[in-house]
Amino acid sequence: MRETFTKSMARNIYYGGAVFFFLLFLALTYDTHQVLPSGDNHEAINEVVALGKKVWEENDCIGCHTLLGEGAYFAPELGNVYTRFGESTDAIKLFIKSRPAKGVPGRRSMPQFNLTDEELEAIAQFLKYVDGIKTARDWPPNIQG
Amino acid sequence: MDTERTKPLPGDFAIWIFIFAELMVFGVLFIAYAVTRSLHREEFAYYQQFLDRETGALNTLLLITSSYFVVKAVLAIKQDKVQQCVNGLGLALLCGCGFLVAKTLEFSDKFSAGIRLSTNTFYMFYLSLTFFHFMHVILGMVILAAILFKARAGAYNHREHTGVETGASYWHMVDLVWIILFPLVYIIR
Amino acid sequence: MKYQSQLVAKNYFIAAILLFTGQILFGLIMGLQYVVGDFLFPEIPFNVARMVHTNLLIVWLLFAFMGAAYFLVPEESERELYAPWLATLMFWIFLIAGALTVIGYLLFTYSDLAALTRNELFPTMGREFLEQPTITKIGIVIVALAFIFNIGMTVLTGRKTVISLVLLTGLVGLAVFFLFSFYNPDNLVLDKYYWWWVVHLWVEGVWELILGSILAFVLIKVTGVDREVIEKWLYIIIAMTLITGIIGTGHHYFWIGTPDYWQWLGSVFSAMEPIPFFMMTLFAFNMVNKRRREHPNKAAVLWALGTAVMAFLGAGVWGFLHTLAPVNFYTHGTQITAAHGHMAFYGAYVMISLTIISYAMPIMRGRTANGEKAQVLEMWSFWLMTIAMVFITLFLTAAGILQVYLQRFTEDPVPFMVAQQKIEIFYWLREFTGLVFLIGLVLYIYSFFVKEENVAA
Repeated sequence: MRETFTKSMARNIYYGGAVFFFLLFLALTYDTHQVLPSGDNHEAINEVVALGKKVWEENDCIGCHTLLGEGAYFAPELGNVYTRFGESTDAIKLFIKSRPAKGVPGRRSMPQFNLTDEELEAIAQFLKYVDGIKTARDWPPNIQG
Repeated sequence: MDTERTKPLPGDFAIWIFIFAELMVFGVLFIAYAVTRSLHREEFAYYQQFLDRETGALNTLLLITSSYFVVKAVLAIKQDKVQQCVNGLGLALLCGCGFLVAKTLEFSDKFSAGIRLSTNTFYMFYLSLTFFHFMHVILGMVILAAILFKARAGAYNHREHTGVETGASYWHMVDLVWIILFPLVYIIR
Repeated sequence: MKYQSQLVAKNYFIAAILLFTGQILFGLIMGLQYVVGDFLFPEIPFNVARMVHTNLLIVWLLFAFMGAAYFLVPEESERELYAPWLATLMFWIFLIAGALTVIGYLLFTYSDLAALTRNELFPTMGREFLEQPTITKIGIVIVALAFIFNIGMTVLTGRKTVISLVLLTGLVGLAVFFLFSFYNPDNLVLDKYYWWWVVHLWVEGVWELILGSILAFVLIKVTGVDREVIEKWLYIIIAMTLITGIIGTGHHYFWIGTPDYWQWLGSVFSAMEPIPFFMMTLFAFNMVNKRRREHPNKAAVLWALGTAVMAFLGAGVWGFLHTLAPVNFYTHGTQITAAHGHMAFYGAYVMISLTIISYAMPIMRGRTANGEKAQVLEMWSFWLMTIAMVFITLFLTAAGILQVYLQRFTEDPVPFMVAQQKIEIFYWLREFTGLVFLIGLVLYIYSFFVKEENVAA
């Protein structure tokens, strides 16, 4: 290594580079915040949807499913399940409600969560709201998620 | 590195790793721009005509001039002419300020016209490339200013001036990127 | 061992290995559930097994990082730990809190656990990797603060070296970004946006600082190469990490409702994230080649070199494979992601933890290195676990490619579950390879109990 490779210069690049790119990241975050309202479907968020998000979280749905591609890869993507189920919240509710408590022999099965009618409606509305989020290139690539 | 180099890289080797990384980022972004442009020729040509080429040209001039002053500063310190070195750096910084002012006016003009990163692909490239470069100019100026103060405090002389060379190398990189960016985004039709 | 207080690290390392074992067992359960869907259903449904698997991973890595910090900081700072009692106290608090949380996952249905821990007061549960009850999260913050205080005071009042300062900034960053786990807005896009500030800025940001400093420490010790050289490399590598990695967060902002420009920025910057890992590989091999001493702990050297290679493969190469937006459009949220996740975590963070444990444990047990027999066993475990992980990754990648093709790429895409059945064979292969990994781990643990005579003190 050449002699003029000093530790202090390496240090300056580390601190300087980190600060520089973090500031850039903050600037981009700011811009993202400005743009988001045009596609994040926030107008669909109401008390029912907010409750639906809680139901989603408190039953750890993300532990099997993906939502907009993030989560576990054990069960189908749900970011577009509302479309896949023929734009019917009733179909979603029926599906969740009818899961057998003991599972299906030899096969993967969704647990029976024993949700109340209110919670069922909420989770269905939440999934409908998620389906309405405008993702780039309309991700997922097709109806199968 | 065992191979004998006739002329070693000026400045600190660490900055060259950084410069290399930066040039790679810009290089990839430039290629991305070129490829996207070839796919959306008409859109790019249409929006390109709204860019402010005069300010762009002025900025090019400012940066090249500042690089000249930086070269002067390096030459001066090699002959122990500290005051000349400080002057050179100061003038370079002044040019840099000029660049920032002109660029800020250009940005505010675009912003007030409602142009954002998400407006369309062309403006996305235009804004991210120029803003990314803009931040590099600021960083370069911070580095030059730091060197200026150190030079004034007498930290450099004809034997020990790696710091000046290091800052100069970085500044030339900032200049070089603009010299590619300006024709690529503003001029080439 | 130079300082008595370094000994607090021992408990941390032991706990780390025990939790690691738990993680692997739950991994095997999940792997089986992939092919025998009703295995342990409904007692341990997949989501619970996964939660335990991933949470144990995070917790044991944190134990290993803390242990590493307690071991190396006194030696770097050339003084005893600021408050050894605090380190021991925090160990028990963290262990009990962690154990209670995992037991909570297993004993209660998740929604009951949420009710029990009053999640409704401050809802933070139920997001991937952040499933811990809010109270546990607060506990983590407290433990982290006490830990950073302890380490910080030791560093700042002692000799300040690059390694300890980089480690400290990494740890502070870890604590700061964890705070975003408390932000959970109703707006899913915002929720996801800041969720990544914990997850990405941890594993592709501040954790790499911790990784780098531990690696640098071990390399100084086992190669005897001049500290100046190693510290310069460390700075440059982690600088590159942050330069590429911070904006590289953008590769998670492709399809979650965030603006389109992230596809460009995320692709460009994250495409360069392999560079620091490649530099790390060059660095490690260079230092070992230039070594000025033959350290008797061959196993630790092997782990250190293994970390550098596997981190590059797992995080660098497998990350690059699907980081470009046009590719990621098809691969996002498939087994490709799982493949990358497995090799990256193993290569970067599991292996660096095992590196420092391998180096430090013999010293804390009163010898420079283990005897020949134990080391040979440990090296066998290295190869078994590493090769097993390579094959797990390859099988998952194969599964992922097929899944992408069947479910997303063909003219006539099939439903998720249909695709899953068609790729079953790869899940079976993965499960068997997982068993090989477990054998490697058992061998690893066994290597601690080998009795030997004539061990160099």
